[in-house]
Amino acid sequence: MLEQQLLNALTLGSVYALFALGFTLVFGVLAVINLSHGALFMVGSYAALAMVTRFNAPLWLAMLGAMLVSGTLGLLVDVLVLKPLRLRNAPHLIPMIATIGVSIMLTSAAQGLFGAEAMRFPEETLPAGEYIVGDVHVRALEIAIVLISFILMAVMFTILKRTQLGRALRAISESPKAAWLLGIPVERLFHATSFVASALGGIAGVLIALDFNAITPGMGQPMLHKGVAVIILGGMGDIRGALIGGLFLGFAEVISKAYLSSQMGDAVAFGLLFLILLVRPAGLFGRQLERKA
Amino acid sequence: MSSMATWFNDFWSTYSTLVFTVGVHAMMALSLWLTLSCGLLSLANAAFMGIGAYASALLTLQAGWSFPAVLLAGGVAPALVALVIGVPVLRLSGVYLAMATLAFGEVVRITILNMDITGGPEGLNGIPLATEGWHILLLLALTIYVLHRLRRSKVGRAFESIKEDEVAARLMGINVARYKLLAFVLGSFIAGVAGALNAHFTFFISPREYGFENAVDFLTMTVLGGTSGLVGPILGGTILTLLPELLRFLHDFRSLVNGAVLVLVVLFLPKGIWEPRRVRAWWVRRTGVSK
Amino acid sequence: MRLTPRSFALTLSLTCAAMAQAADIKLGVAEALSGGAAQYGLAIRNGFQLAADEINAKGGVNGDKIQLVIEDEQGKKEEAINVVKKLVFQDKVLMVFGPTLSNSMFAGGPVGNAAKTVMFGTSVTANGITDIGPYVFRNSVMESDVLPVTVATAQKFYKLKKVAVIYGNDDAFTKSGYDVFKGVLADLKLPVTTTETYVKGDVDFKAQLTKIKATEPDAVVCSCLAEEAANIMIQARGLGIKAPFIGGNGFNSPKLFEISKLAGEGTFVGSPWSNTNPAPVNKAFVAAYVKKYDAQPNQFAAQAYDALSIVAATLKDVKLSGDLSADRETLKNALPKASISGATGPFKFRPAKTKDGKVGGWDADQKPFIYVVRGGKFTLFEGK
Repeated sequence: MLEQQLLNALTLGSVYALFALGFTLVFGVLAVINLSHGALFMVGSYAALAMVTRFNAPLWLAMLGAMLVSGTLGLLVDVLVLKPLRLRNAPHLIPMIATIGVSIMLTSAAQGLFGAEAMRFPEETLPAGEYIVGDVHVRALEIAIVLISFILMAVMFTILKRTQLGRALRAISESPKAAWLLGIPVERLFHATSFVASALGGIAGVLIALDFNAITPGMGQPMLHKGVAVIILGGMGDIRGALIGGLFLGFAEVISKAYLSSQMGDAVAFGLLFLILLVRPAGLFGRQLERKA
Repeated sequence: MSSMATWFNDFWSTYSTLVFTVGVHAMMALSLWLTLSCGLLSLANAAFMGIGAYASALLTLQAGWSFPAVLLAGGVAPALVALVIGVPVLRLSGVYLAMATLAFGEVVRITILNMDITGGPEGLNGIPLATEGWHILLLLALTIYVLHRLRRSKVGRAFESIKEDEVAARLMGINVARYKLLAFVLGSFIAGVAGALNAHFTFFISPREYGFENAVDFLTMTVLGGTSGLVGPILGGTILTLLPELLRFLHDFRSLVNGAVLVLVVLFLPKGIWEPRRVRAWWVRRTGVSK
Repeated sequence: MRLTPRSFALTLSLTCAAMAQAADIKLGVAEALSGGAAQYGLAIRNGFQLAADEINAKGGVNGDKIQLVIEDEQGKKEEAINVVKKLVFQDKVLMVFGPTLSNSMFAGGPVGNAAKTVMFGTSVTANGITDIGPYVFRNSVMESDVLPVTVATAQKFYKLKKVAVIYGNDDAFTKSGYDVFKGVLADLKLPVTTTETYVKGDVDFKAQLTKIKATEPDAVVCSCLAEEAANIMIQARGLGIKAPFIGGNGFNSPKLFEISKLAGEGTFVGSPWSNTNPAPVNKAFVAAYVKKYDAQPNQFAAQAYDALSIVAATLKDVKLSGDLSADRETLKNALPKASISGATGPFKFRPAKTKDGKVGGWDADQKPFIYVVRGGKFTLFEGK
């Protein structure tokens, strides 16, 4: 049974990590807690669903479409809402509140367009196939999810650590003013980051929707909780932290449900969080200092 | 003349709960303001409200205490909890503190959810109606008075210097840890009393009302209203509570417009609705009178 | 007659009086039309709307048309109170249907009850709802009436020796369903191999199901809402669990088996309603619903539909005086005697058994049908 549980944890954790990745990118680079990330995640699922059902698109195309739609929406939010606030030097909680407003609007629009009932991907679009190794059942779908998550995370990691773009982003997250003085096109990179982060949220939405075959207007909320938990665990603004934190949360949830009591799964996760914060507030990988300028 | 009375009677029958809720939310926003004024971003106030609500409701239902006693207990219970966790938690600052208080809030909610005595997910129902308008008015006024005096006192000045620059404050000999704890505990007391009041006019409480979303809602009220003074949180609490009711005529579009209003207010009034400098400037422009 | 101002005024006032005679009967509807409970609230509203339209098309009740005053209580308790107050005091409705969730009823019910206005819940099944007072009615059958029959039937059919249980522990509905299951299993002396829980919004149950699988139960008892139920069944099959499921009230939704397809084969569910129930009233209801809303009805819509029929049937036999408080009282006294044959079958009320012997409201007195899932559809279980 342990192997099965570990597999469950891996699948769950990799999607958490993917979601948290986008969330943490925005926090690290733009210094904004984007509470509409959950809604953008939800929009990705609906976008993919619409492409599959209305345009008969193959699944891989629908996934790309989801990334495009969520990414563009995220970009719009940055351009229309976050940028004006940046220009006005708004206190740092204000953009967070604006993203709450965006989240409410998107959720309400989704309910208006698609209804409140849960929707599903048609059976035929899901990759079929199941592998049985001893006592462990693995669905082809789960393999695909883990693969896609890890590939995307690896790509992001490479960009951030190995490319000039990555260096520029890291400079901005240290200090946007200094970066600007160095000639880095800060505004453009803010936009790009918003786009990419939201796109990652969107594809995470599609993956969860495929795994559990349930799309509802409110599906972003619980994910947001997990996302917050992951970035606390992993350290805010750190990519490795999002990855490790996501996997860790997935494992913690599954294992505590499996071996402690399924009731305390959530309590354990948050209790753990609380203790970690007390002992090591910056999380596993976070930087100790707060952001300057 | 009597038609005035009838009109008021009808109005009050329909909207009294709404008015009470405004009062309670104003208290919650003020409790958050208190912690913010000391530089603490605490998201635990919704959980403290929950502790106060459950403590008071259980004492009413199971122990038959009187209402004033129950209100006091509703404030003391979360204050004790705040005292205990405050010491370690308040060593954190900024977003880390926010996250820790958020995590703490979730732990509280889940604990309540899993306890039998609190009724678990089914909550507590049949709480007798005990809150009356004057209770809320009195306690809100008391809160405003206390916070106002606090602000102008030595304590208030200490809070402000801690908020400005914690390191400098400590160097000046201010016992930062103790003042932060004071703000935290006092804030939790106010939140707890608000929770107790709310429990006794809504007949029913459940863990779902004191979680992450609620904490964020209250924070929104405070920040949107403007954090420079006491007027802001009260205004923010009032407007955000009344807004869904005012938008009721929009039926299906209510949520959408609600969210849009939030975004627009933030965009056009980024420092909050009640910002003294802007209000003063407007006043000067309007009346030609300089204060 | 010449058209003098006086005659004009006379005619106008007479016309108004005549129109006032054929006055609309205002019935309040407080349901969750947005937020987490919207999927139930919207179906319920549709059920009410359909019933009202049908009744009005036939001329209304004794010539008076039914007017539904619909408000969104958002699934939040404060909203529930605000909405009930608005309907009762501002819109001055004759009675209020709803709210949707038991939690909201606990908050809004006392308000209506204190105002001596009938509160009629169609989707609230928690214990203690009708304890609120004598003005509280519900036609939603309680779990404690349905589950004992379901489990006993399944036990005999599958010759069950032991079962596993899974339920949502943060939702009043699923938790109270679990409490009933627990009692029933104890009464039937059916051992429980393990009890697992999840929270609402969870979509991953593999941890719990893996545990369940390891204990090799003969059946899996679920107190779950349709959403989670579908995923639980799919994931269970995906993990290799072959045991059949026994479901509570939450299972009763045609969507459930649309998604889970064959994963749900052999599931036993007890429910007051199913879309495959061949009774003529039900067939007509389903057909009309599909025609009007282009979607299959579910249990919530059916119970709302019946609730309005119950009230309309009652109103037919009473005389409304036009004095609001008198009429509300009249309705409250006449409603308990209602007895109809609706989409959910034959229905009547029975007085609630309250906790401390206080005067309570009225619960549904209906026998559930037991359904077993064959070929991805609910089929009535006729066997022994």
